[in-house]
Amino acid sequence: MSDSENSLDPFNLQRRRVLLGMGVAGAALAGGALSCPAMAASGGQNVQVTQAPSSDKTRDRHDYYDQHQNGILTPRPAAGMLVAFDVLASDRQDLERLFRTLNQRIAFLVKGGPAPHADPRLPPPDSGILGPQVTPDNLTVTVSVGASLFDERFGLATAKPKRLSRMQGFPNDALEPAQCHGDLSLQFCAHTADTNIHALRDIVKNLPDLLLVRWKQEGTVPPQAPTKPGEPAQSARNFLGFRDGSANPDSTDNSLMNSIVWVGPETDEPHWAVNGSYQAVRIIRNFVERWDRTPLQEQQSIFGRNKASGAPMDGAHETDVPDYSNDPDGKVTRLDAHIRLANPRTAQTRNSLILRRPFNYSNGVNKNGQLDMGLLFICYQSDLEQGFIAVQTRLNGEPLEEYLKPVGGGYFFTLPGVRDEQDFIGRSLLNAAAPVANA
Amino acid sequence: MKKTPFALLITLGLLHTPLSALAATAPLDLVGPVSDYKIYVTEQLDLLADNTQQFTDAVKKGDLAAAKKLYAPTRVHYESIEPIAELFSDLDASIDSRVDDHEQGVKAPDFTGFHRIEYSLFSENSTQGLNELADGLSKDVQDLQKRVAGLTFPPEKVVGGAASLMEEVAATKISGEEDRYSHTDLYDFQGNVDGAKKIFDLFRSQIQQSDQAFAAKVDKNFATVDRILAKYRTQDGGFETYDKIKDNDRKALIGPVNTLAEDLSTLRGKLGLN
Repeated sequence: MSDSENSLDPFNLQRRRVLLGMGVAGAALAGGALSCPAMAASGGQNVQVTQAPSSDKTRDRHDYYDQHQNGILTPRPAAGMLVAFDVLASDRQDLERLFRTLNQRIAFLVKGGPAPHADPRLPPPDSGILGPQVTPDNLTVTVSVGASLFDERFGLATAKPKRLSRMQGFPNDALEPAQCHGDLSLQFCAHTADTNIHALRDIVKNLPDLLLVRWKQEGTVPPQAPTKPGEPAQSARNFLGFRDGSANPDSTDNSLMNSIVWVGPETDEPHWAVNGSYQAVRIIRNFVERWDRTPLQEQQSIFGRNKASGAPMDGAHETDVPDYSNDPDGKVTRLDAHIRLANPRTAQTRNSLILRRPFNYSNGVNKNGQLDMGLLFICYQSDLEQGFIAVQTRLNGEPLEEYLKPVGGGYFFTLPGVRDEQDFIGRSLLNAAAPVANA
Repeated sequence: MKKTPFALLITLGLLHTPLSALAATAPLDLVGPVSDYKIYVTEQLDLLADNTQQFTDAVKKGDLAAAKKLYAPTRVHYESIEPIAELFSDLDASIDSRVDDHEQGVKAPDFTGFHRIEYSLFSENSTQGLNELADGLSKDVQDLQKRVAGLTFPPEKVVGGAASLMEEVAATKISGEEDRYSHTDLYDFQGNVDGAKKIFDLFRSQIQQSDQAFAAKVDKNFATVDRILAKYRTQDGGFETYDKIKDNDRKALIGPVNTLAEDLSTLRGKLGLN
């Protein structure tokens, strides 16, 4: 899917050698290589303070046309952003214009190319923040719709996915209205945050009469040091210091993904929704100061994993699967440990598997001087009720709640992919419901 | 009108850039609209000065009710000509700065003008200690009047003013943060929109010649904004407070406002101005 081209810009050659050299050294020294880059970067090179960090991955890109949208099974890059919008379209025709314009912009942005330009006496049509040549930088933009899009405005009520609802607060939630819900969500993922912001600004500029930003949350995934050959890659850590996503189902297993993530043809969901997915988004604040004042063994028993390795309490490696059958009383892994409640690994709970795709966020400081940070939780599933809602319901009252406060988010339905250049995002949805007669 | 184009431009004080810089547009076409705009601004400033006198008199007399009533209808004339008023940044700060502009908030010694008085009238329900602020505002408005009278109106500032007025609406009126104590934001909202529409109307014939569809789109969005604002008119010709505005109306305003800001930002270029 990803076709990283050879980037051999002459001015980059010298720096590329440095980077490649670092890569080899990093791999050889595995986990202990962290002191290397700093030394290599200043090793006698004539490098200016303001010289931009160099990357040969800015040309990474994904083919936009597929039965599924990108940004779900696509490996999660370092920068993510979830933006929820109110749709300002006043009728069905406007809504179609919205989807067609969105489609056109996303198709361009994920492919890259010369930035659109105009007479210099006019405002430039592109923000220019990626320069005259827009680099795809591994960008994906994933389009999903909220339950409110199916209200009376566009005559879509009969086409609403069966399990799409407005997110209800769970007992531990303190939802802030300004950070919840939305008619439409866009999930941006790319190697760098600037690429996501460029894409967002392009879309905002091209759709001033049809979309209004409702809320936005950016997040990051910290890159992990390369592992030794033959060793499995390790999951990134969240802001509580634990590896996140260890128990995720294998996203390269197509038949597994067909049952867990994608809406299939043999369900009670509307036909147009096949190859779509349910997206649950939660902005989960972490009380990190308090967490950092909690004994390590308590942190570990609350999560049910070893903090350093990510291994379950009865295992040695992150990838080891916990076996709760020998531990009915929770002597090894507490019965209310986060991972045990979330995934009890029983036959009855197999249908509540979800595909997690979270990002860490850091927003600033709260009035009390505590850091405002946490997890931009995003997950995908073929059944929202049996997936996220069931999992979160099992988690209600877990000990970890003392350190968490979900403050925002929403439920959305991720539209099926765009087949080819004749297709556009949202087409199957618009075709599914009979057009309303407009006055 | 027997004067040569050059002479006419110089007479009207418009020729501050060499003719060649105005490129594609015949500069003469801009003379009429720009001088008409100066007349409009002058009229608005006369109204602003008269109303400010009455407003500050009421404040100084301690007539709280009268002062409150006059606050919004007075400053609407400032809002409608903001692109010109803002050319004098010292006066703009002393007349129209908001509490957010001051790190020390309402206590900041340089927080003066309409919004400082608004704070006392509507938040503290008092006219106490406002004499100096009232005199200062009155004096600043008269100063503004004098300075504008002697000003050469730069055509690009006039034309660009339509977009900057809509930027004002998009940035501070939609959110209801302009008049946070009196909640009279809709007066300012209408003032900004009227000011932008005035500019567009003055250059309408030039725009229509080159882009009929653009002119129609702009007209449609102005009409939508006016229609929604009209729902909140009161019997006395004023407006309801901003908290009365329904969420769906506020949302319905955002699309046309943002689109006007986007479209009017091309006006200078469309008229060939640099």
